[in-house]
Amino acid sequence: MENFYQPATSRRSMLQQLACGFGSVALAGLCQDSMQAAKQSTLNIKKTHHQPRAKRIIFIFMQGGPSHVDSFDYKPKLVAGDGKSYETVGVRSGDFGKLKKLMLVKPLWKFRQYGKSGHWVSDLFPHIAKHVDDLCFLHGLHTNGVAHGPTTLFMHTGATNLIRPSVGAWVNYGLGSENNNLPGFITICPSAANGGPRNYSNAFLPEAYQGTALGEAGLPAVKATIRHIRNQKLNAKQQRRQLDLLQKINQAQMAQTEKNQTLESVIQSFELAYRMQAAAPKVMNLANESKATLKSYGIGEKSTNDFGRQCLMARRFSEAGVRYVQITYGDNGSNPKWDQHSNMPKHADHAKATDKPVAGLLADLKARGLLEDTLVWWGGEFGRTPFGQGKTGRDHNPLGFTMFLAGGGTKPGFSYGETDEIGHKAIMNKVHMHDLHATLLHLMGIDHKKLTYRFAGRDFRLTDVHGRVIRDIMA
Amino acid sequence: MKITFHFLFLLTLSALAFGVDHCVAAEGPAKDYTFFEKKIRPLLVKHCYECHSASAGENEGGLYLDSRQGWKTGGDSGPSIVPGKPKQSLLIKAIGYKDPDLQMPPDGKLSAVEIKALKKWIIGGASDPRKGKSAKHNKSPKIDLVKARQFWSFQKPKKHKAPKVANTKWAKDDLDRFILARLEAKGLQPAPQVSREKLIRRLYFDLIGLPPTRKQIAFFVNNKHPLAVERLVDRLLASKQFGERWGRHWLDVARFAETSGGGRSLIFKNAWRYRDYVIDAFNNDKPYNEFVQQQICGDLLPFNSPEQRREQIIASGFLSLGPTNYELQDKETLRVEVVDEQIDTIGRTFLGMTIGCARCHDHKFDPIPTKDYYALAGILGSTKSLVRGNVSKFIERQLPRIKNNVEYDKLVQSTDALKKQVQEHKQRKLQLAQIIKKRSPNIAVAKKDKPRAVAQLPGVVVDDVHSERKGTWYHSTFSPNHVGKGYLHDKKEKLGSKSITFRPNLTKAGQYEVFIAYNAAPSRASKVPVTILHAQGEKKLYLNQRRPPQNDQLFYSLGQYRFDKGTKGSVTLSNKAADGYVIADAVQFLPIELPKKIKKKQPLNRTIKLSTAAKKQLSQTRTELAKLSNKIKQLEKVLKKQQSRLKGFTEKAMSVQEETKPSDWHLLIRGVVRNRGPLVPRGFLSVVETTNQIKIPKNESGRRQLATWLTSRENPLPSRVIVNRLWHHLFGKGLVPTTDNFGATGQQPSHPKLLDTLAVDFMNDHWSMKRLIRRIVLSKSYQMSVIDNSRAKLLDPQNHLIWSRNRRRLEAEVIRDSMLLISGQLDQTAGGSTYRGKSEYGYQFNSRRRSVYVPVLRNARHDLFSVFDFPNPNLVVGHRTTSVVSTQALYFMNSPFVQQQSNQAAKELLKNNNQSNQARLVRVYFEVLGRKPSSVEKKIIAEYLSDQSISAEQRWTQIYHVLFASIDFRYVN
Repeated sequence: MENFYQPATSRRSMLQQLACGFGSVALAGLCQDSMQAAKQSTLNIKKTHHQPRAKRIIFIFMQGGPSHVDSFDYKPKLVAGDGKSYETVGVRSGDFGKLKKLMLVKPLWKFRQYGKSGHWVSDLFPHIAKHVDDLCFLHGLHTNGVAHGPTTLFMHTGATNLIRPSVGAWVNYGLGSENNNLPGFITICPSAANGGPRNYSNAFLPEAYQGTALGEAGLPAVKATIRHIRNQKLNAKQQRRQLDLLQKINQAQMAQTEKNQTLESVIQSFELAYRMQAAAPKVMNLANESKATLKSYGIGEKSTNDFGRQCLMARRFSEAGVRYVQITYGDNGSNPKWDQHSNMPKHADHAKATDKPVAGLLADLKARGLLEDTLVWWGGEFGRTPFGQGKTGRDHNPLGFTMFLAGGGTKPGFSYGETDEIGHKAIMNKVHMHDLHATLLHLMGIDHKKLTYRFAGRDFRLTDVHGRVIRDIMA
Repeated sequence: MKITFHFLFLLTLSALAFGVDHCVAAEGPAKDYTFFEKKIRPLLVKHCYECHSASAGENEGGLYLDSRQGWKTGGDSGPSIVPGKPKQSLLIKAIGYKDPDLQMPPDGKLSAVEIKALKKWIIGGASDPRKGKSAKHNKSPKIDLVKARQFWSFQKPKKHKAPKVANTKWAKDDLDRFILARLEAKGLQPAPQVSREKLIRRLYFDLIGLPPTRKQIAFFVNNKHPLAVERLVDRLLASKQFGERWGRHWLDVARFAETSGGGRSLIFKNAWRYRDYVIDAFNNDKPYNEFVQQQICGDLLPFNSPEQRREQIIASGFLSLGPTNYELQDKETLRVEVVDEQIDTIGRTFLGMTIGCARCHDHKFDPIPTKDYYALAGILGSTKSLVRGNVSKFIERQLPRIKNNVEYDKLVQSTDALKKQVQEHKQRKLQLAQIIKKRSPNIAVAKKDKPRAVAQLPGVVVDDVHSERKGTWYHSTFSPNHVGKGYLHDKKEKLGSKSITFRPNLTKAGQYEVFIAYNAAPSRASKVPVTILHAQGEKKLYLNQRRPPQNDQLFYSLGQYRFDKGTKGSVTLSNKAADGYVIADAVQFLPIELPKKIKKKQPLNRTIKLSTAAKKQLSQTRTELAKLSNKIKQLEKVLKKQQSRLKGFTEKAMSVQEETKPSDWHLLIRGVVRNRGPLVPRGFLSVVETTNQIKIPKNESGRRQLATWLTSRENPLPSRVIVNRLWHHLFGKGLVPTTDNFGATGQQPSHPKLLDTLAVDFMNDHWSMKRLIRRIVLSKSYQMSVIDNSRAKLLDPQNHLIWSRNRRRLEAEVIRDSMLLISGQLDQTAGGSTYRGKSEYGYQFNSRRRSVYVPVLRNARHDLFSVFDFPNPNLVVGHRTTSVVSTQALYFMNSPFVQQQSNQAAKELLKNNNQSNQARLVRVYFEVLGRKPSSVEKKIIAEYLSDQSISAEQRWTQIYHVLFASIDFRYVN
């Protein structure tokens, strides 16, 4: 099978899907430069560049920067070096390039070995720990930027400052949607801060590829839904009646005009919207899930209920064919959730809120066979420093940190890359964020160097002129 | 031996350089490649070939390491290895992992053994047998400017004579002849003139962005006057709504927004002034060349009135409105990126050139070498756009006041009077202090003073020798005025890291007065943080060690506190933020009820005896001084209040400033911030020549000259670009469809001669945009109807030749404004600040103002705007997308906004009880669609209205709702 979604649809309908995206009926006039480029590029990628390993991505964003040295990157030397002085060069605007003396602080949680792989995980994540044999840890991550805003944008768009499309938009631009009644890129409860909507923006790609936000950070996940998916005034019967009236009027108006593809598309768009109204709430409705499933995600438990819902919705959307789903454990502050500059023990609350739901999601995906072709990506915009900040805090650490992947063709029970002996800087098998982006696209069957979009006279790509595919982590 | 030989051999070669190919010469039989083959080649293959080899293709730095020629030529940063000189070899620098911007290999540092081997190899002369032709250096061939100037958009526009046409009756304006000639050449005819009913709707939407009322339609349709159309057009052009409509078009290309977006989004609370400036510029028909100049260098232009000054400063805000991530921690990168954004915006907005492409390498398609980019970067880099900080800020400048404001003038007067009063009082205070100083006997005593022994002092005294110290404190006896054997000081170093604690061992709990001993001097710190830990808590205060202590010139009272028995209490000094030496001598804890004999034995105040009269005089002076101090305090409080009120009157605008030292910029290799190439003199695009070379004086940024160059009649781009923009907004498509790209990757003009003629006419007509718009809308070409023409469609499917009018979708703003107008809810107030929020998050777009006044936030958009292709305010958008997506249908079906407007409109409609349903329907149709209902529509709606199960208001609400959602509302003929 050359192309994973080809058999299900005719070539023609597939091309249509590719060219359009979510609910898009026609793109009458794309923005200028891209008019030609869209024709070129979207059609060029009518097939994936190579055999894909994953069909979809679930990105679990831990906003604020969870500490790798307190969770998944075990450093005995850091334990031994507790309280010792440590010299390093500053990366913040105030101390940029200056030599600083700091004090090492050992992990606040005890580490244990798990599974056949014997991976070390701290007591912060006892549930995820049970899945280490399904996970592919990247311990040598490093990234651009130091502050939350630029780094968060870099993680989502490959640029700290310049206006670039988000990973999810690129993936949808490259692959199109598997489900015409749902958006191809959904982000549940995204943060309004630290880049906000730019983190799921299409930027210069056609609008159809932008992420559809369900709810927002700070809002309970149970309220997260697609904008205007429900009519507050009319019941279904009344609305159908109104829609019938509209379509009759539209047909009457169409009869008076010249033949016009765009106007026909408008008429179709109402029918499609009407179908979406029915389809989307069904996917978002968790009522038919078994008690056991709900429980495994921590739904119903106070501390895990909210993120559990996000995780379960992520599975349901993936199952329904949504290409790229992002869920966010975050908020709208300048110091988002995992950002413990002065109170590391608070990490325990965040771990508690997310550990079981993520573990539940991993188990559920596996049980349903979805983990085969669903790529799960867990992580924050950076890690935290092995040395202390104030009495009980840790600062941002973009120089070395940990993320994990699961499924979608990655090696299970595998660890790749290393930070130095205290966990400060990535030193071995380093993976830059650009490299990770290149690798994610590769797993989806896309060559990051070939997925380009012409805008303002240039061919842009997610990885700019950077990025290396990390083949060593592929199963 | 061998090593030395190779080394010398190579040196000789380089020194002579008589054209012998080094490779050939160096490949003599004397070479020994064992070391290379054993140690170096495997290393290069393992760590470098993945990116730096011919098989890997073009890479980031342009460096190839799979042949000798590869590292000799090097990448963009020059040769990678200098044989014999590891310190000068970039390769060694890169693998050293010291420079944060140059670290190779990217996945981790090489082992020490490997690094050593490479160094050894280079010291030995870097002998390398690999030939290979992969040294292909990907520097693009040099741009040939003479040849490049042949490209259509770089030739100066010329006025062309209107072509001859067969149909001599049709054309009204020369521009029609250009259109008609092309049509006739293809055997096509222009579409017939549009009906009056449709024309007025078209003109209303195109010129003011609002629909005409039924009355206005009726009046125009029935107006038989030969100048009826001209009059209508003139009326619309003169209305304030014209600027609101056309100003918005400009805001699209100016990437206007009221927040910065990015990481920590900052609020541009004065950006609205720029928006209003643009609206006014269109309403006042500001000549386009002036409009451009003011936006590039308004802050530098001469002015005759405060009004003009204000306007010009506000205009220059154009440069600072961009999407900047002020939180970026690497401030050099931030600066470069702000400049980059400005260059990109200027290029696309005014020139239709994608200059931004030339940041890292010569433009791949257009004749823009990288050095042109950095010539412009020097100009904008010599312009200050940023206030540096952890989160940096944009520049705001104060605007001169214009109106005479009585309240303000009064406030200024009284503030000035107050200031004067305070100053006088302060002078008097100084006099009094001097009198007291003179008459006070303490000074004389202090000077003669000697160290005081701890044992002689009453109470519990903790001398510095018994203190607890953090950081190094230095012993001194420089001043004899101290307790014990000396005192300590912090040497004015390591601020914030030193502290010293005096901890008494008290034998009795009770109330104590705490005195701290220090000798005062002007070199001391004036704000030493002191913490007193006592039985009831903690007291923090600041101590001014420049001021002599009141008791004995040595002891200063820190106040009275309760202490427990033992060592729980303490007094701590720190050198945090100290502005001078911090002195720590001793602390005295004096029980409040002193045993009598001690009191007698050791009086605290050892003042010299004064006569009663002198004492009285002194005390009077002291009282006066105290009173005066109080008075000053009071006055200063009032003054502060007034000044903050005055601040409320100051108006600011976003702008830029000249840097104090303007300078050229270095070319940045591959656009990498710390990878500097040669300096590039400031200048403009070299492909555009002007007869008189525009020179940039050393002490200026060059923005003034840039503005001159941008509006020079000799510059072929700006006039064409703006004329094309105006055409685009009136026809739905530019003569050059790629409105922001006039380069090789853009599209060619459909009517090049017409474009050129219009551009020349436009410049001759004082760059008047309003008059050009008027000319175009009065043309026959503009007034064609939308038709179906299968033959034309076959010949010219994209309608490049303009054989029909293009049907156009209303923009988001027009959809919203029209609905609000029809429902009677539109607030037509003009101008002013409309966004006073503190954060974008959760912003509710409830405004009923025209859409151009709806705040444009980079992180939050009006729902309707986001589904109907409102342009991304982070980018220059001269040509908006018009998509058809089902989210638009969802919006029309379900958004409360459409429901509310439908309902309001229905309520208005039903206010008149006497109308028949038929009359109502006609009214509704004219309101929403500008026409009568067709007989089919009448029938469909009559059927729907017959449903009596819902109220009349509900029925009419739904009819409005349906018509708003219908295609004839959204698409204009």
